[in-house]
Amino acid sequence: MGSPAIVVEDVTKSYGDFRAVDHLSFDVQNGEIFAVLGPNGAGKSTTIRMILDIIKPDTGRIAVLGGPINAARKNRIGYLPEERGLYTGVPVLEMMSYLGRLKGLSRSEARSRSMAILERLELADNAKSKVSELSKGMQQKVQFAVTVLHQPELIIIDEPFSGLDPVNRLVIKELLLDFRNGGGAIVMSTHQMNQIEEMADRMLMISHGQQKLYGPVEEIKERFAKHAIIVDGKGDWAKVPGVTSVEPAGNGRNGGKLLNLAPDVTNDAVLAAMAQDKTLEIDRFERAVPSLDEIFIQVAGEHATVDQRVG
Amino acid sequence: MINNTFQVFLYEIQRNIRRKGYIFTTFLIPLLIFVGMFLFNTLAMEGSNDGEPAIDPNDIVAQFEDINVAGFVDLASVIDAVPDSLADRMVRFPDEETARSAMQDEAIDVFYVIQPDYLETGEVVLHLPGLQLNLLNDQPIELLIERTLAGDIDNQTLRRIRNAASFQEFNLERDAETDTASREDADFLMVYVFTIAFLLSLFMTNGYLMTSVIEEKENRLIEILMSTLRPFELLAGKIMAMGVLGLLQMVIWFGGMFLALHVAVTLPAFQNIPVLLNLQVRWHILPTLILYFVVGYMLFAAMYSAVGAISGSMREGPQYAVIFTLPAVLPFYFFALVLESPNGPLPVFFSMFPITAPIGMLMRLSVVDVPLIEIIISLVLLALTAVAAMWMAGRLFRVQVLLAGQTPKLSELPRMIFGGRSNGQPKAA
Repeated sequence: MGSPAIVVEDVTKSYGDFRAVDHLSFDVQNGEIFAVLGPNGAGKSTTIRMILDIIKPDTGRIAVLGGPINAARKNRIGYLPEERGLYTGVPVLEMMSYLGRLKGLSRSEARSRSMAILERLELADNAKSKVSELSKGMQQKVQFAVTVLHQPELIIIDEPFSGLDPVNRLVIKELLLDFRNGGGAIVMSTHQMNQIEEMADRMLMISHGQQKLYGPVEEIKERFAKHAIIVDGKGDWAKVPGVTSVEPAGNGRNGGKLLNLAPDVTNDAVLAAMAQDKTLEIDRFERAVPSLDEIFIQVAGEHATVDQRVG
Repeated sequence: MINNTFQVFLYEIQRNIRRKGYIFTTFLIPLLIFVGMFLFNTLAMEGSNDGEPAIDPNDIVAQFEDINVAGFVDLASVIDAVPDSLADRMVRFPDEETARSAMQDEAIDVFYVIQPDYLETGEVVLHLPGLQLNLLNDQPIELLIERTLAGDIDNQTLRRIRNAASFQEFNLERDAETDTASREDADFLMVYVFTIAFLLSLFMTNGYLMTSVIEEKENRLIEILMSTLRPFELLAGKIMAMGVLGLLQMVIWFGGMFLALHVAVTLPAFQNIPVLLNLQVRWHILPTLILYFVVGYMLFAAMYSAVGAISGSMREGPQYAVIFTLPAVLPFYFFALVLESPNGPLPVFFSMFPITAPIGMLMRLSVVDVPLIEIIISLVLLALTAVAAMWMAGRLFRVQVLLAGQTPKLSELPRMIFGGRSNGQPKAA
């Protein structure tokens, strides 16, 4: 697999008395989509800027693409920040060519690659249009094109789908997945939990600059899974042996009931008991795994509560 | 690093050289001067063919214009006899009554009465048949008196008598022989044109520099750039590009001016414009001017880029820039003083004080040879200030300031410039 795309070791960053990042450690592997999430002001942007060497950490060590960041390694990274823009009064191709040359491409390479990516994004006809003449969605696609123009090995992208309609969202999503499947590493910061669930392999959740959750997305969801099941159908679920309580399954679960189980009861035993009870009609039976939204609210909420108590 | 700076440099040149404002001021203004010059010449020549020729003193018909025959009464007894060349056009009358009757009979168009004390006062009274402006002409009587008094003197000597001396001055301070009136006009024009061109170029290119920084902040492109470039690389590329554009502008303007002057003096319509003929461009000061432009540009580029770095929007930038622009153009308000006494205390002060030095020294250099030691002291002071301004701009032109969406408070600036890095500032960027 080779060395990780990013290694962050015990990194701290403060602005005056405010500690934006607090002893943070994680790594990002090649060929994976790594999601960074956290409440606003959690330290995500500061962490990303430190990885990109836009700002320096106070303590700790960061290695990118096999070593400390330098100009050559910067040219192997594509970055799309959350607050992004373009030169509005300049033709698209000319602007892309400039930004490509800043990434070490020759003039002809920058132009040919710009045209290639514009064609893939169905923007080739707009190559000579000024950026200000494009729709907002088109500008978003051009911004993405600029990010991948120089064929980076690592993409760091903040809210990749903001401002995109469903069709263009799909286009960008496919491009990102292709990039990942080709062995590239993607760091994706977003508040859209469904996108993380759909695309991310691993994730890091930060709150107040500290690591709160870190690991494969499925493992984290598993970790937060209750000893419970969700069922849909008819009957008195409370009388099933091993069920301690019944409650609505909650939002995002297509209705149904959440059955909390006694600690020593397995899912298989409950399913077998239900199958033998002729008064029950079972349409759905699944393990109660929480959504990332719920995990996020739970983790972020816990800290908000602690903060309020401390404050 | 050099490649990044060079790419920024190339791109800024490419982007700004196509700005309408730059194209207009750089290329079209000299072109308009040329077109205007030729139009003026063409119109003037056409006008001359339409019956308003320059009057030749030997051309009697031309001097009489609409007067066919004029009478005169010589009460001073200065006209012994009418010269043969004027005999058909000038008729003597013994007194005013006779002359008036002849005019009423339309035998003559007008008559002149040479007053008895003419030799002391030069007084001649013109009598007209009515208010006819085309007959309001003193040339016939002047010609008659001149020819009579001159006797055998040839025309060239006569013309010299009429305009005995074209005064020359030799002014030690100005160190040049000059025809006072037209030379002063020429000086005024020279200083004015040089100063305006210098100011326009200096502030236009620096204005572009500032707006390009603010634009990148305002449209949030700055963070993408910062992920590839160091702030210093971005700043250096921009400053060099705008400096080259400014120099190019100056070269085109002064080259255009040089050509225009050389062409103008060959065109007939400009032969009678003494200001133009006396215009002596002090080309030997050009290297010094270029040096002042370069160092002065660095000073103002540093200030303008610092303003760009802290400005949150396009509206704010120019408002802050006025703080530097107004003092810089101060010498221009003392234009007359600098012309009159270029080595006076105030002009010397202006040429020494770093903020006013580029314009102040330019104005002096346009009219006088400034002692070398003064130029050296002024340039050293200017260069030191430019270095200090660059350092200050470097302190402000950093990631944390560039990425901030809001303009810092005035009270925060000293800390940002002179303070350490721990107080909210990144270690380096």
